Amino acid sequence: MADNILEVKHLKKYFKTNRGTLHAVDDVNFSIRKGETLGLVGESGCGKSTIGRLILGLHSATSGEILFNGQDICKADAQQMHDLRRQMQIIFQDPFSSLNPRMSISEIIGEPLIIHKMVSSRAELDKRVLELMDVVGLSQRLENSYPHELDGGRRQRVGIARALSLTPQFIMCDEPVSSLDVSIQAQVLNLLKDLQAEFGLTYLFITHDLSVVKYFSDKIAVMYLGQLVETSASDELFRNTLHPYSQALLSAIPEPRAHHKMQRVKLTGELTSPINPEPGCRFAKRCLYAAPYCTGQDPTLQDFGDNHFCACFRAEELRKEAAGIEE
Amino acid sequence: MENLLEIKNLTVEYHTQGEIVHAVNGLSLNLRQGESLGLVGETGAGKTTTALSILQLVADPPGKIMGGEIFFDGVDLLKTKKSLLRSVRGNKISMIFQDPMTSLNPVYSVGFQIAEVIQLHENCSKEEARRKAEEMLEMVGIPKERYEEYPHQFSGGMKQRVVIAMSVACSPQIILADEPTTALDVTIQAQVLELMNDLKEKLHTSLLLITHDLGVVAQVCDRVAIMYSGEIVEQGTIPEVFDHPAHPYTIGLFGSIPTLSMESTKLTPIEGQMPDPTELPAGCNFSPRCPYARAECHSKKPGVTRIPGEATHELRCFALGWEQPDETLMEVIKRGR
Repeated sequence: MADNILEVKHLKKYFKTNRGTLHAVDDVNFSIRKGETLGLVGESGCGKSTIGRLILGLHSATSGEILFNGQDICKADAQQMHDLRRQMQIIFQDPFSSLNPRMSISEIIGEPLIIHKMVSSRAELDKRVLELMDVVGLSQRLENSYPHELDGGRRQRVGIARALSLTPQFIMCDEPVSSLDVSIQAQVLNLLKDLQAEFGLTYLFITHDLSVVKYFSDKIAVMYLGQLVETSASDELFRNTLHPYSQALLSAIPEPRAHHKMQRVKLTGELTSPINPEPGCRFAKRCLYAAPYCTGQDPTLQDFGDNHFCACFRAEELRKEAAGIEE
Repeated sequence: MENLLEIKNLTVEYHTQGEIVHAVNGLSLNLRQGESLGLVGETGAGKTTTALSILQLVADPPGKIMGGEIFFDGVDLLKTKKSLLRSVRGNKISMIFQDPMTSLNPVYSVGFQIAEVIQLHENCSKEEARRKAEEMLEMVGIPKERYEEYPHQFSGGMKQRVVIAMSVACSPQIILADEPTTALDVTIQAQVLELMNDLKEKLHTSLLLITHDLGVVAQVCDRVAIMYSGEIVEQGTIPEVFDHPAHPYTIGLFGSIPTLSMESTKLTPIEGQMPDPTELPAGCNFSPRCPYARAECHSKKPGVTRIPGEATHELRCFALGWEQPDETLMEVIKRGR
């Protein structure tokens, strides 16, 4: 489609370890349309950050294509990559380790502008930095402060201002609020939403928190051990959860309400190792509904209508069963 | 029900180079037999310091317990002898720390670490301690064959189970759990919470659960206390506080969290940041951020009042006593969540 800003096709990333090949990302396909937010959800170790890093060219893919505005990032040379990076930026998870402690706030925000020669004079640089600080709600008196003088919420705002400085089209947010307190988290989430409306940004939002994703994303992709197990529009996924793993993930979130005890879908065991995985559904060992035929061959994403895809051999069957119970 | 633990007017300060950090300011709290109480607040609210003070584990220097009383079983722990305190720690009151990766010793097997606690507090032989430690492992869902394994051979969730086994090994009367599931993934968190719920029922232990996650509190606790800048600003039973939050901070806290059942597309965060604990405001600690604050809020500290018509719901705020009430606030409280 023409309006896809990002298309990921058959993306694979394997890491060689002493104990075998670690399949961090295994044949992942998805696309993001301009101005949309895709929420990539999964537990630690499922490969979501690796995908983010592959897209930004911080890792090189084992195989597959990443098309950014039609251009394959995996094949770009250093000069092309330099130009591409102007269009795509990242906001890191930890605002305590992602800012250089020896640079002042204005230096941090202004550095990308200097690297990419976007400003011609010192005065223009200062003006642009102050504009950016204003946009993210940082007061101007912090201009010459250093990161250690700021709290987590303000630091994350610096990270956001830095990502915005080159007016990118695409920003990857890697758990941007998970290290912040709830009241500050809400401020930052609202800011990111406002900025998206103002600048027409496209986000890839990586997180483990489904409630944040529900609030934030247009589309959601659920990931398990290097593979996507379910993708769908945000409302649709929460209304009509198909994959047993997504169901378990949803039911595990404690709701902050009285008189509402968790109805947990039991999930026993923990993430299996992504090193030399056996063929077959990777979730099968923890799955309540696993059948003998779930192991042996890999399930693929099947269309269930309304752009809702799910990789489960028994999804259709289970859906009918659930509908039957309700009737 | 009788109070098992009573904290009265606890004040803790940290003295650092010329600055005094007011971590806990005149906090009072009760924990009854068999009850679980959630202590909720943001980073720096003083939750952990409160728990550490109960067992007097606050590092001194820089920390200093400046005043107050902590009664456990009729004895003031702050004034008692060190030897008695040692028999309480880990035995009658035990603690679960946030990070299971750092609270286990990497050079001893997990079984040994559990048996160590038992041997220390209960007059028993090595073999008996080992048998009991194996029992504990099984109770938290770890096969006893893993007794000889070391912490690095366990995953995060399993390590937290070991820590829990350690904390219940001497059948304590109170468990202080400091963010026990924060470092874990949601599916593992759900397993651990379920385990804690089961154990609580089986052993009739009281639980003080420290967390910043209101969802976890709703699932595990009977009562909740909301903490802000070293004070408890609101407390009551779960239905009281969750259905009708009354303190502007609590209301703001609920407005800040995206939930799965929420339909709105915009969060309503609390503006501003927590006050600097070295320079607390003259009036109510929340007044600089409070949208309903009036002149008296900025000059005087509010006391604790019981909300009329509710059994245990208490509030540290002037607003309910105003002769001309703030209509928007009253509406928010009445409407509830």
